[in-house]
Amino acid sequence: MPTVLQNIFSFILLVLVQVLVLNNIQFLGYIDPYLYILFILVLPVQMPRWFLLILAFTLGITIDIFSNTLGMHAFATVFIAFFRSGIIKLFTNIEEGNNPTPSFYTFGVSSYIKYVVVMVLIHHATLFMLEAFSFTHIWILLAKIMLSSLVTILLILGIQSIKTK
Amino acid sequence: MKNLINFLIRYSVVFLFLFLEVISFTLIVKNQEYQKSVFLSSSNVVVSGMYEWSNSIVEFFKLRTANDNLSEENTSLKNQIINLQNKLSTLKPERSDSVHFRIPPEMQYQFISAKVINCSTNKLQNYITLNKGAIDGIKVDMGVISDEGVVGIVKMVSTRFSGVIPILNPKSDISCKFKRNNYYGGLTWSGEDYRYANLTDIARHVELALGDTIITSGFTSAFPEGIPVGTIEDFKIKESDAYYKIKVRLAVNFRTLSHVKVVNFLNFQELKDLEKKSEQ
Repeated sequence: MPTVLQNIFSFILLVLVQVLVLNNIQFLGYIDPYLYILFILVLPVQMPRWFLLILAFTLGITIDIFSNTLGMHAFATVFIAFFRSGIIKLFTNIEEGNNPTPSFYTFGVSSYIKYVVVMVLIHHATLFMLEAFSFTHIWILLAKIMLSSLVTILLILGIQSIKTK
Repeated sequence: MKNLINFLIRYSVVFLFLFLEVISFTLIVKNQEYQKSVFLSSSNVVVSGMYEWSNSIVEFFKLRTANDNLSEENTSLKNQIINLQNKLSTLKPERSDSVHFRIPPEMQYQFISAKVINCSTNKLQNYITLNKGAIDGIKVDMGVISDEGVVGIVKMVSTRFSGVIPILNPKSDISCKFKRNNYYGGLTWSGEDYRYANLTDIARHVELALGDTIITSGFTSAFPEGIPVGTIEDFKIKESDAYYKIKVRLAVNFRTLSHVKVVNFLNFQELKDLEKKSEQ
Protein backbone atom coordinates (compact mmCIF):
# COMPACT_ATOMS: atom_id res chain seq x y z
CA MET A 1 0.00 0.00 0.00
CA PRO A 2 2.58 2.58 -0.94
CA THR A 3 0.06 5.10 -2.31
CA VAL A 4 -1.88 5.18 0.96
CA LEU A 5 1.30 5.82 2.94
CA GLN A 6 2.38 8.38 0.39
CA ASN A 7 -0.93 10.21 0.74
CA ILE A 8 -0.79 10.16 4.56
CA PHE A 9 2.72 11.58 4.34
CA SER A 10 1.67 14.29 1.90
CA PHE A 11 -1.33 15.16 4.15
CA ILE A 12 0.96 15.75 7.12
CA LEU A 13 3.57 17.56 5.07
CA LEU A 14 1.02 19.90 3.45
CA VAL A 15 -0.61 20.73 6.81
CA LEU A 16 2.80 21.52 8.33
CA VAL A 17 3.88 23.65 5.38
CA GLN A 18 0.55 25.47 5.48
CA VAL A 19 0.43 26.30 9.19
CA LEU A 20 4.13 26.84 9.83
CA VAL A 21 5.20 28.60 6.65
CA LEU A 22 2.40 29.81 4.39
CA ASN A 23 0.13 31.15 7.16
CA ASN A 24 2.97 33.46 8.11
CA ILE A 25 3.36 34.96 4.65
CA GLN A 26 2.03 38.47 4.90
CA PHE A 27 2.92 40.09 1.61
CA LEU A 28 1.04 43.40 1.28
CA GLY A 29 -1.77 41.97 3.40
CA TYR A 30 -3.50 40.55 0.33
CA ILE A 31 -1.65 37.35 -0.35
CA ASP A 32 -2.70 34.35 1.67
CA PRO A 33 -1.85 31.21 -0.30
CA TYR A 34 -3.58 27.98 0.73
CA LEU A 35 -1.43 25.26 -0.75
CA TYR A 36 -2.97 22.47 1.34
CA ILE A 37 -5.76 21.85 -1.19
CA LEU A 38 -3.11 20.24 -3.39
CA PHE A 39 -3.92 17.14 -1.31
CA ILE A 40 -7.49 17.08 -2.67
CA LEU A 41 -6.30 17.88 -6.21
CA VAL A 42 -3.94 14.90 -6.51
CA LEU A 43 -6.20 12.13 -5.17
CA PRO A 44 -7.05 9.45 -7.78
CA VAL A 45 -9.92 10.31 -10.11
CA GLN A 46 -12.13 7.33 -9.31
CA MET A 47 -11.82 7.57 -5.53
CA PRO A 48 -15.26 6.99 -3.89
CA ARG A 49 -16.90 10.37 -3.49
CA TRP A 50 -18.02 9.83 0.10
CA PHE A 51 -14.45 9.02 1.08
CA LEU A 52 -13.18 12.10 -0.74
CA LEU A 53 -15.67 14.27 1.18
CA ILE A 54 -14.61 12.79 4.54
CA LEU A 55 -10.93 13.35 3.69
CA ALA A 56 -11.67 16.94 2.64
CA PHE A 57 -13.51 17.59 5.90
CA THR A 58 -10.66 16.15 7.97
CA LEU A 59 -8.10 18.22 6.09
CA GLY A 60 -10.15 21.40 6.38
CA ILE A 61 -10.85 21.01 10.08
CA THR A 62 -7.16 20.31 10.78
CA ILE A 63 -6.15 23.55 9.08
CA ASP A 64 -8.98 25.33 10.94
CA ILE A 65 -7.78 24.19 14.34
CA PHE A 66 -4.33 25.56 13.63
CA SER A 67 -5.47 28.88 12.24
CA ASN A 68 -8.38 29.67 14.59
CA THR A 69 -10.97 29.80 11.82
CA LEU A 70 -13.17 26.94 12.93
CA GLY A 71 -15.30 25.60 10.07
CA MET A 72 -14.21 27.94 7.27
CA HIS A 73 -11.52 25.78 5.68
CA ALA A 74 -13.64 22.70 6.26
CA PHE A 75 -16.55 24.30 4.41
CA ALA A 76 -14.46 25.45 1.44
CA THR A 77 -12.54 22.19 1.13
CA VAL A 78 -15.65 19.97 1.28
CA PHE A 79 -17.17 22.30 -1.30
CA ILE A 80 -14.43 21.77 -3.89
CA ALA A 81 -14.20 18.06 -3.08
CA PHE A 82 -17.87 17.69 -3.96
CA PHE A 83 -17.55 19.42 -7.32
CA ARG A 84 -14.22 17.84 -8.19
CA SER A 85 -15.46 14.93 -10.28
CA GLY A 86 -17.80 17.23 -12.23
CA ILE A 87 -14.94 19.60 -13.01
CA ILE A 88 -12.69 16.71 -14.07
CA LYS A 89 -15.40 15.41 -16.43
CA LEU A 90 -15.81 18.89 -17.85
CA PHE A 91 -12.17 19.30 -18.89
CA THR A 92 -11.00 15.77 -19.68
CA ASN A 93 -12.34 12.60 -21.21
CA ILE A 94 -11.09 9.75 -19.12
CA GLU A 95 -12.29 6.32 -20.19
CA GLU A 96 -14.34 4.17 -17.88
CA GLY A 97 -12.22 1.81 -15.80
CA ASN A 98 -9.17 4.05 -15.87
CA ASN A 99 -8.13 5.49 -12.53
CA PRO A 100 -5.33 8.01 -13.12
CA THR A 101 -3.92 10.45 -10.59
CA PRO A 102 -4.46 13.99 -11.87
CA SER A 103 -1.21 15.46 -13.25
CA PHE A 104 0.21 17.10 -16.36
CA TYR A 105 0.88 13.67 -17.86
CA THR A 106 -2.52 12.08 -17.38
CA PHE A 107 -4.70 15.13 -18.13
CA GLY A 108 -2.59 16.98 -20.66
CA VAL A 109 -1.05 20.35 -19.86
CA SER A 110 -3.93 22.66 -20.79
CA SER A 111 -6.67 20.53 -19.18
CA TYR A 112 -4.64 20.18 -16.02
CA ILE A 113 -4.04 23.93 -15.76
CA LYS A 114 -7.76 24.61 -16.29
CA TYR A 115 -8.63 22.03 -13.63
CA VAL A 116 -6.23 23.57 -11.07
CA VAL A 117 -7.31 27.15 -11.82
CA VAL A 118 -11.02 26.42 -11.46
CA MET A 119 -10.61 24.36 -8.28
CA VAL A 120 -8.36 26.94 -6.59
CA LEU A 121 -10.58 29.86 -7.57
CA ILE A 122 -13.72 28.17 -6.20
CA HIS A 123 -11.94 27.25 -2.98
CA HIS A 124 -10.40 30.69 -2.37
CA ALA A 125 -13.59 32.55 -3.29
CA THR A 126 -15.65 30.43 -0.87
CA LEU A 127 -13.07 30.75 1.86
CA PHE A 128 -12.51 34.51 1.68
CA MET A 129 -16.22 35.26 1.39
CA LEU A 130 -16.85 33.15 4.49
CA GLU A 131 -14.04 34.93 6.29
CA ALA A 132 -15.34 38.38 5.42
CA PHE A 133 -18.99 37.36 5.92
CA SER A 134 -20.12 40.58 4.26
CA PHE A 135 -19.64 42.47 1.02
CA THR A 136 -18.81 45.84 2.56
CA HIS A 137 -15.16 45.71 1.48
CA ILE A 138 -15.89 44.05 -1.84
CA TRP A 139 -12.79 45.33 -3.64
CA ILE A 140 -10.43 44.22 -0.92
CA LEU A 141 -12.21 40.86 -0.98
CA LEU A 142 -11.88 40.47 -4.74
CA ALA A 143 -8.25 41.54 -4.71
CA LYS A 144 -7.52 39.05 -1.95
CA ILE A 145 -9.27 36.22 -3.83
CA MET A 146 -7.48 36.97 -7.11
CA LEU A 147 -3.96 37.55 -5.76
CA SER A 148 -4.04 34.64 -3.32
CA SER A 149 -5.45 32.29 -5.97
CA LEU A 150 -2.72 33.35 -8.37
CA VAL A 151 0.00 32.55 -5.85
CA THR A 152 -1.59 29.21 -4.90
CA ILE A 153 -2.01 28.22 -8.56
CA LEU A 154 1.62 29.08 -9.33
CA LEU A 155 2.80 27.11 -6.29
CA ILE A 156 0.71 24.07 -7.25
CA LEU A 157 1.75 24.11 -10.91
CA GLY A 158 5.37 24.59 -9.85
CA ILE A 159 5.30 21.63 -7.49
CA GLN A 160 3.50 19.45 -10.03
CA SER A 161 5.96 20.25 -12.82
CA ILE A 162 8.90 19.27 -10.61
CA LYS A 163 7.35 15.87 -9.89
CA THR A 164 8.51 13.22 -12.33
CA LYS A 165 5.99 10.82 -13.85
CA MET B 1 -40.49 2.24 0.85
CA LYS B 2 -38.16 0.54 -1.59
CA ASN B 3 -38.14 3.66 -3.74
CA LEU B 4 -37.28 5.74 -0.74
CA ILE B 5 -34.32 3.52 0.14
CA ASN B 6 -33.17 3.57 -3.48
CA PHE B 7 -33.43 7.34 -3.47
CA LEU B 8 -31.42 7.60 -0.26
CA ILE B 9 -28.70 5.30 -1.60
CA ARG B 10 -28.55 7.09 -4.93
CA TYR B 11 -28.10 10.51 -3.37
CA SER B 12 -26.11 9.45 -0.31
CA VAL B 13 -23.07 11.44 -1.49
CA VAL B 14 -25.15 14.58 -1.80
CA PHE B 15 -26.53 14.04 1.70
CA LEU B 16 -23.05 13.50 3.06
CA PHE B 17 -21.94 16.69 1.32
CA LEU B 18 -24.82 18.70 2.77
CA PHE B 19 -24.26 17.14 6.20
CA LEU B 20 -20.57 18.10 6.26
CA GLU B 21 -21.28 21.62 5.00
CA VAL B 22 -23.94 22.11 7.66
CA ILE B 23 -21.47 20.99 10.35
CA SER B 24 -18.83 23.40 9.02
CA PHE B 25 -21.28 26.24 8.81
CA THR B 26 -22.56 25.65 12.33
CA LEU B 27 -18.98 25.72 13.56
CA ILE B 28 -18.38 29.03 11.76
CA VAL B 29 -21.52 30.64 13.15
CA LYS B 30 -20.82 29.43 16.67
CA ASN B 31 -17.29 30.65 16.27
CA GLN B 32 -18.54 34.17 15.61
CA GLU B 33 -19.29 34.43 19.30
CA TYR B 34 -16.58 34.94 21.81
CA GLN B 35 -17.13 31.67 23.61
CA LYS B 36 -15.03 29.56 21.35
CA SER B 37 -14.42 26.06 22.50
CA VAL B 38 -10.90 26.08 23.79
CA PHE B 39 -10.47 22.53 22.56
CA LEU B 40 -10.78 23.33 18.87
CA SER B 41 -8.62 26.41 18.69
CA SER B 42 -4.98 27.25 18.92
CA SER B 43 -5.24 27.41 22.72
CA ASN B 44 -5.42 23.62 22.55
CA VAL B 45 -2.40 22.05 24.23
CA VAL B 46 -1.21 20.02 21.24
CA VAL B 47 -1.55 22.87 18.76
CA SER B 48 -0.07 25.43 21.14
CA GLY B 49 2.75 23.08 21.94
CA MET B 50 3.59 22.86 18.27
CA TYR B 51 3.38 26.60 17.78
CA GLU B 52 5.57 27.12 20.82
CA TRP B 53 8.16 24.79 19.32
CA SER B 54 8.08 26.59 15.97
CA ASN B 55 8.16 29.94 17.74
CA SER B 56 11.24 28.99 19.73
CA ILE B 57 13.09 28.67 16.44
CA VAL B 58 11.78 31.90 14.95
CA GLU B 59 12.38 33.76 18.20
CA PHE B 60 16.07 33.05 18.04
CA PHE B 61 16.32 35.41 15.11
CA LYS B 62 14.42 38.13 16.94
CA LEU B 63 16.63 38.04 20.03
CA ARG B 64 18.68 41.02 19.00
CA THR B 65 15.80 43.47 18.73
CA ALA B 66 14.16 42.02 21.83
CA ASN B 67 17.38 42.65 23.76
CA ASP B 68 17.54 46.22 22.50
CA ASN B 69 13.96 46.86 23.58
CA LEU B 70 14.56 45.31 26.99
CA SER B 71 17.65 47.36 27.67
CA GLU B 72 15.84 50.52 26.60
CA GLU B 73 12.97 49.76 28.93
CA ASN B 74 15.44 48.93 31.66
CA THR B 75 17.09 52.30 31.42
CA SER B 76 13.85 54.22 31.48
CA LEU B 77 12.72 52.24 34.54
CA LYS B 78 15.99 52.92 36.30
CA ASN B 79 15.61 56.61 35.56
CA GLN B 80 12.16 56.53 37.07
CA ILE B 81 13.48 54.81 40.18
CA ILE B 82 16.14 57.48 40.62
CA ASN B 83 13.62 60.26 40.18
CA LEU B 84 11.29 58.69 42.69
CA GLN B 85 14.09 58.15 45.18
CA ASN B 86 15.01 61.80 44.91
CA LYS B 87 11.43 62.84 45.50
CA LEU B 88 11.09 60.43 48.40
CA SER B 89 14.19 61.72 50.13
CA THR B 90 12.88 65.29 50.01
CA LEU B 91 9.55 64.21 51.49
CA LYS B 92 10.98 62.24 54.40
CA PRO B 93 10.45 63.83 57.81
CA GLU B 94 13.61 65.16 59.37
CA ARG B 95 13.07 63.67 62.80
CA SER B 96 13.98 60.04 62.39
CA ASP B 97 13.21 59.08 65.97
CA SER B 98 9.46 59.74 65.85
CA VAL B 99 7.09 56.86 65.27
CA HIS B 100 5.91 57.27 61.76
CA PHE B 101 3.37 55.22 59.89
CA ARG B 102 3.26 55.37 56.18
CA ILE B 103 0.47 53.61 54.39
CA PRO B 104 1.89 52.20 51.17
CA PRO B 105 0.08 53.32 48.05
CA GLU B 106 -2.36 50.69 46.98
CA MET B 107 -0.94 48.37 44.37
CA GLN B 108 -3.74 48.39 41.86
CA TYR B 109 -2.13 46.78 38.85
CA GLN B 110 0.32 43.95 38.45
CA PHE B 111 1.82 42.73 35.21
CA ILE B 112 2.21 39.11 34.15
CA SER B 113 4.79 38.83 31.40
CA ALA B 114 3.96 36.42 28.56
CA LYS B 115 5.23 35.49 25.14
CA VAL B 116 3.28 35.58 21.90
CA ILE B 117 3.38 32.15 20.27
CA ASN B 118 0.94 32.72 17.44
CA CYS B 119 -0.17 35.99 15.93
CA SER B 120 -1.92 36.80 12.67
CA THR B 121 -2.18 40.26 11.13
CA ASN B 122 -3.45 39.58 7.62
CA LYS B 123 -6.86 38.05 8.31
CA LEU B 124 -10.06 40.02 8.70
CA GLN B 125 -10.32 38.61 12.21
CA ASN B 126 -6.97 38.23 13.86
CA TYR B 127 -6.10 36.34 17.02
CA ILE B 128 -3.07 36.06 19.28
CA THR B 129 -2.09 33.07 21.42
CA LEU B 130 0.04 33.55 24.56
CA ASN B 131 2.13 30.96 26.37
CA LYS B 132 0.65 31.74 29.80
CA GLY B 133 -2.72 30.55 31.07
CA ALA B 134 -4.88 30.02 34.15
CA ILE B 135 -1.91 28.50 36.03
CA ASP B 136 -0.07 31.80 35.77
CA GLY B 137 -3.09 33.76 36.98
CA ILE B 138 -4.48 34.93 33.65
CA LYS B 139 -8.23 35.42 33.55
CA VAL B 140 -10.71 36.35 30.85
CA ASP B 141 -11.09 40.12 30.17
CA MET B 142 -7.62 41.09 31.30
CA GLY B 143 -5.85 43.63 29.10
CA VAL B 144 -2.66 42.85 27.19
CA ILE B 145 0.02 45.48 26.55
CA SER B 146 3.53 45.46 25.14
CA ASP B 147 6.37 47.89 25.77
CA GLU B 148 5.07 49.99 22.91
CA GLY B 149 1.39 50.17 23.82
CA VAL B 150 -1.98 48.43 23.90
CA VAL B 151 -2.25 45.00 22.25
CA GLY B 152 -5.71 43.59 23.08
CA ILE B 153 -7.90 41.79 25.59
CA VAL B 154 -7.78 38.16 26.78
CA LYS B 155 -10.86 36.26 25.63
CA MET B 156 -10.04 32.59 26.21
CA VAL B 157 -7.98 30.92 28.88
CA SER B 158 -6.91 27.30 29.11
CA THR B 159 -4.61 25.86 31.76
CA ARG B 160 -1.34 26.84 30.12
CA PHE B 161 -2.29 29.07 27.20
CA SER B 162 -4.58 31.96 26.48
CA GLY B 163 -6.18 33.53 23.43
CA VAL B 164 -6.21 37.30 22.91
CA ILE B 165 -8.49 39.41 20.72
CA PRO B 166 -6.09 42.13 19.49
CA ILE B 167 -7.01 45.62 18.28
CA LEU B 168 -6.78 44.05 14.81
CA ASN B 169 -10.15 42.35 15.13
CA PRO B 170 -13.54 43.91 14.44
CA LYS B 171 -14.77 42.42 17.73
CA SER B 172 -12.40 44.53 19.76
CA ASP B 173 -13.59 47.91 20.99
CA ILE B 174 -11.18 49.65 23.32
CA SER B 175 -12.07 52.90 25.03
CA CYS B 176 -9.39 55.57 24.54
CA LYS B 177 -8.96 59.30 24.88
CA PHE B 178 -6.73 62.15 23.77
CA LYS B 179 -3.76 62.83 25.97
CA ARG B 180 -4.21 66.55 25.30
CA ASN B 181 -7.81 67.21 26.25
CA ASN B 182 -9.34 63.98 27.61
CA TYR B 183 -12.12 63.59 25.02
CA TYR B 184 -12.76 59.87 24.70
CA GLY B 185 -14.00 57.50 22.00
CA GLY B 186 -13.90 53.87 20.90
CA LEU B 187 -11.13 52.34 18.81
CA THR B 188 -12.23 49.94 16.06
CA TRP B 189 -10.47 48.20 13.19
CA SER B 190 -11.64 48.25 9.60
CA GLY B 191 -9.84 45.09 8.48
CA GLU B 192 -7.56 46.67 5.92
CA ASP B 193 -4.16 47.48 7.33
CA TYR B 194 -2.43 46.18 10.43
CA ARG B 195 -0.81 49.56 11.06
CA TYR B 196 -3.97 51.66 11.33
CA ALA B 197 -7.27 51.68 13.23
CA ASN B 198 -10.17 54.12 13.46
CA LEU B 199 -11.25 56.26 16.38
CA THR B 200 -14.99 56.91 16.56
CA ASP B 201 -17.35 59.08 18.61
CA ILE B 202 -15.24 62.24 18.61
CA ALA B 203 -17.66 65.15 18.16
CA ARG B 204 -16.94 67.93 15.64
CA HIS B 205 -16.28 70.68 18.16
CA VAL B 206 -13.19 68.92 19.52
CA GLU B 207 -9.91 70.46 18.44
CA LEU B 208 -7.56 67.97 16.79
CA ALA B 209 -4.10 68.07 15.32
CA LEU B 210 -2.16 65.52 13.32
CA GLY B 211 0.18 63.58 15.56
CA ASP B 212 -1.92 63.94 18.71
CA THR B 213 -1.29 61.06 21.09
CA ILE B 214 -4.13 58.71 21.99
CA ILE B 215 -4.01 56.78 25.28
CA THR B 216 -6.27 54.37 27.14
CA SER B 217 -9.02 56.02 29.14
CA GLY B 218 -8.97 53.76 32.19
CA PHE B 219 -12.77 53.43 32.10
CA THR B 220 -12.61 49.70 31.71
CA SER B 221 -10.79 47.58 34.21
CA ALA B 222 -8.73 45.96 31.45
CA PHE B 223 -6.17 48.76 31.14
CA PRO B 224 -4.78 51.35 33.52
CA GLU B 225 -5.12 54.94 32.34
CA GLY B 226 -2.46 56.36 30.08
CA ILE B 227 -1.15 53.37 28.12
CA PRO B 228 -0.28 54.65 24.61
CA VAL B 229 -2.55 53.44 21.79
CA GLY B 230 -1.32 55.45 18.82
CA THR B 231 -1.14 58.82 17.15
CA ILE B 232 -3.49 60.60 14.73
CA GLU B 233 -2.40 59.94 11.16
CA ASP B 234 -5.29 61.59 9.36
CA PHE B 235 -8.77 62.94 10.13
CA LYS B 236 -11.76 63.92 8.01
CA ILE B 237 -15.12 65.50 8.63
CA LYS B 238 -17.88 66.25 6.14
CA GLU B 239 -20.21 69.24 6.49
CA SER B 240 -23.09 66.96 7.40
CA ASP B 241 -21.25 64.75 9.88
CA ALA B 242 -21.45 65.12 13.62
CA TYR B 243 -18.39 63.00 14.28
CA TYR B 244 -14.85 62.95 12.96
CA LYS B 245 -13.42 60.07 10.97
CA ILE B 246 -10.02 59.64 12.57
CA LYS B 247 -7.29 57.33 11.30
CA VAL B 248 -4.94 56.24 14.06
CA ARG B 249 -1.42 54.93 13.54
CA LEU B 250 -1.13 52.17 16.13
CA ALA B 251 1.73 52.35 18.61
CA VAL B 252 2.29 48.60 18.51
CA ASN B 253 3.79 46.90 15.48
CA PHE B 254 1.83 43.63 15.42
CA ARG B 255 4.18 42.07 12.88
CA THR B 256 7.08 42.00 15.32
CA LEU B 257 5.11 41.36 18.50
CA SER B 258 6.97 38.98 20.79
CA HIS B 259 6.96 39.79 24.52
CA VAL B 260 3.79 41.19 26.12
CA LYS B 261 2.46 41.93 29.60
CA VAL B 262 -0.96 40.91 30.83
CA VAL B 263 -2.54 43.51 33.10
CA ASN B 264 -3.85 42.07 36.35
CA PHE B 265 -6.22 44.53 38.01
CA LEU B 266 -6.21 43.43 41.62
CA ASN B 267 -9.58 44.88 42.57
CA PHE B 268 -11.29 43.57 39.46
CA GLN B 269 -13.84 41.40 41.27
CA GLU B 270 -14.76 44.16 43.72
CA LEU B 271 -15.29 46.64 40.90
CA LYS B 272 -17.38 44.19 38.92
CA ASP B 273 -19.57 43.36 41.92
CA LEU B 274 -20.11 47.05 42.60
CA GLU B 275 -21.05 47.75 38.99
CA LYS B 276 -23.45 44.84 39.03
CA LYS B 277 -25.09 46.14 42.20
CA SER B 278 -25.46 49.66 40.88
CA GLU B 279 -27.12 48.37 37.73
CA GLN B 280 -29.88 46.66 39.71
